[in-house]
Amino acid sequence: MKIDDLEKLKNEGPDTLPSKERRKFLKWGLAVTGVFAGGAVLSLTSAKNVQGALEGIKLKKYPYKPHYCMIIRQDRCVDCEKCKEACVKTNNVPEYGYRTTILEREIPIGPDEKQREFMPVLCNHCNHPPCVRVCPTRATYKDEKTGIVMMDYKKCIGCKTCMAACPYNARYFNEEKRAIDKCNFCFDTRLSKGEKLTACAAACPADVRIFGDLSDPESRVYKLIHEPDRVVWVLRPETGAMPNVYYTKG
Amino acid sequence: MKRSLITILLIFALTIAVQGIFNIGFAGEDEEDADYPTELIVFTQPVKAVVFDHKYHIEEAGMDCDSCHDDTFEQAAGTAEENGDFTMKSLYEGKYCGACHDGDSAFASNTKCAVCHIGVIGYNKMHNIEGGEGGGHH
Repeated sequence: MKIDDLEKLKNEGPDTLPSKERRKFLKWGLAVTGVFAGGAVLSLTSAKNVQGALEGIKLKKYPYKPHYCMIIRQDRCVDCEKCKEACVKTNNVPEYGYRTTILEREIPIGPDEKQREFMPVLCNHCNHPPCVRVCPTRATYKDEKTGIVMMDYKKCIGCKTCMAACPYNARYFNEEKRAIDKCNFCFDTRLSKGEKLTACAAACPADVRIFGDLSDPESRVYKLIHEPDRVVWVLRPETGAMPNVYYTKG
Repeated sequence: MKRSLITILLIFALTIAVQGIFNIGFAGEDEEDADYPTELIVFTQPVKAVVFDHKYHIEEAGMDCDSCHDDTFEQAAGTAEENGDFTMKSLYEGKYCGACHDGDSAFASNTKCAVCHIGVIGYNKMHNIEGGEGGGHH
């Protein structure tokens, strides 16, 4: 679907989808999750529309306090993977899974000319998280205060439905925990201990990952997202999940 | 019978002759004869990984050995990485790659990052290491 067409669509949100549509969505999610080449997961939305992508209505204020979010300044990423290393170390992530990773693609920049581009991905901590909606045991939930999509490992039965529902391929089954594991913005390992940044954001040498509180007008994330001329986009806005990981360049 | 034999011989001779011309014509570009390292230089410090292509800089950008050696870069591979100041900051100050990549002679060091930076993914591809993009589970 073209971006123009997408923008014309009314955002119905995931709650009102009929079950047939929902099934189609899940099937589609399974088919394209993790496929980055060809732009299947990338859709553009201008900064003006970010709030629209966030809530579909004119927001008076952001729904959480602090409203944690991350901005990824995509063109600065060089795939050094120091973020991945820091994440693995901080959150004890096994070799077979990831909480965050880097994708690569080549974008055409001219006739027979291509340019490499890297794209960090992680859990988008959606305002309407499809993973939370499908979890049969409520093991995964949206934290009421911070908006972080969290896991209660004890409640998880490992059915992997959330993995299938996630539009961002941000979940893996942790064999040691016998539960699904995912990014929680380092809530247990750093934020709750007074750190201001996630491990990945702190480790990035190129200042790609900007982390902070979107509800605080003084924060870097707030200022970046609300720069009038800055183009900001989210991945797969058409799912209606209203993600909190934003992408921009420059 | 005789005529067809002559024809075959002629074609044979012609083929050899053409091949000969071909070889002479392109001998100059034969990689084995190049007077510069033909393999990519791969830097892994301070971040993994950055590539430098001697061939491109000599054949396409029109530089020669003196352009960089031994002023901007020591000839011995790996020296820059051991110096401890082989960083983007140094580049912005005009050291190393930044001597040309200043936005004047060549694209500036703080632009087009992924042209030189191939990342861990690129490094792993080069060395045939699996799992460059992390194991996706379904």
